[in-house]
Amino acid sequence: MNCEQARTQFVDYWRGTLEDSRAEFDAHLAACERCRAEAEDLRDMWSALGTLPEEDPSLRLRARFYDSLRQWRQRETRPALWWLRHPAFQTAAAMLILAAGIGTGYMLRGREMSEVSQLRGEVDNMRQLVALSLLQQQGASDRLRGVSYAYRVEPDDSQVLSALLATVDHDSNVDVRLAAVDALKKFTNNPVGRNGLAQALSKQDSPLVQIAILDEIVEVHDRSAAPSIQALVSSTDVNPEVKQHAQWALRQLQ
Amino acid sequence: MYEASDSSLMRAVREGDLGALAILFERHHRPLFNYFVHMNGNRELSEDLVQDVFVRMLKYRQSYQPERAFAAWMYQIARNAQSDSIGKRKFEVALPDREFASVNVMEENLKRKQEISILKRAMARLPVEKRELLVLSRFQNLKYDEIASILGCDVGAVKVRVYRAVRALGEIYFELSGERAS
Repeated sequence: MNCEQARTQFVDYWRGTLEDSRAEFDAHLAACERCRAEAEDLRDMWSALGTLPEEDPSLRLRARFYDSLRQWRQRETRPALWWLRHPAFQTAAAMLILAAGIGTGYMLRGREMSEVSQLRGEVDNMRQLVALSLLQQQGASDRLRGVSYAYRVEPDDSQVLSALLATVDHDSNVDVRLAAVDALKKFTNNPVGRNGLAQALSKQDSPLVQIAILDEIVEVHDRSAAPSIQALVSSTDVNPEVKQHAQWALRQLQ
Repeated sequence: MYEASDSSLMRAVREGDLGALAILFERHHRPLFNYFVHMNGNRELSEDLVQDVFVRMLKYRQSYQPERAFAAWMYQIARNAQSDSIGKRKFEVALPDREFASVNVMEENLKRKQEISILKRAMARLPVEKRELLVLSRFQNLKYDEIASILGCDVGAVKVRVYRAVRALGEIYFELSGERAS
């Protein structure tokens, strides 16, 4: 291996992706002082480059993206009538309705209401999408944000509910799991939510999360969760404080 | 549910599930934004370009080929968006030779602060083609073959060019920091 060949391997060497030619590369570096010095000088800069702080975009970017995604989806679902939902059209329509005045108001009222509720449905739909997308991110802070979006969906949203339950069961981060338990409060009128919460109790290894779940069960007075709590009390590998709290919870539910 | 790959999500988008793009947006908008900031030094323009890239993904989703790495496809769109924006604005986008205002380096120690500032200035002085290679290989962590497919050249050429970019950056960096040993 000559100097030129060795130098084009530098980046692989720093990245640890030098495989086949590793022995030759090492031999060259051992023999060539210039290449060795250059590899060392540049390596420090290469690693410093990797620690440059990243810039954060403004919050406006997310809002803009979700807004255009919403418009695309509308266009796709109703290709012939997409202009009905176009803001320009809606503004014009709103002005027309205004101009039509109270006289025709009664007649139009029904339709206006249904448009409003349709729009509201779309907003809910986007919230659901944001929540579900964020809950799948790698960064814990993104998933936390996903949980906070989950608060804003309708309590009968089964997709968000099951994403939250999956988060409580499987998320690697305790803070995210705790936030998800809190968010599930919204869904405790839903039998799936109640049942999921009780089931989650046995899957937890974090006492903090177990206690939060117990508190929530007591708060909504979910008697059907008693067997799951009983199982926790009888289990051998449960934190003693959790066990004590579980006994307290059982008493509260009686 | 945590493991849907980029290419399977983009395939879903191609097949009409536009909502899957939201997951891709959440995964990639920040690195993409940083790519643009490095390329043009303008935060506002960079946000417009990120938005533009995702809209183009929707528009041209039928052209996505799942056997190709998603990141390569995305950065190819990004490059087109970036070069179109230069065409539209009729001026060469140049990075300001100063520190970005929004970076909070208050808590960092002085040496680190200087190092960051010198590195940024060195990056800004680098010709744009070299800067792009470093952004793709170092910041975006793309593999040589992915970069080759973005730039439309062979892997061997990418290796040589990345090395030359690192070296060119090194020269500016050591000149600015006045600490070149040899």
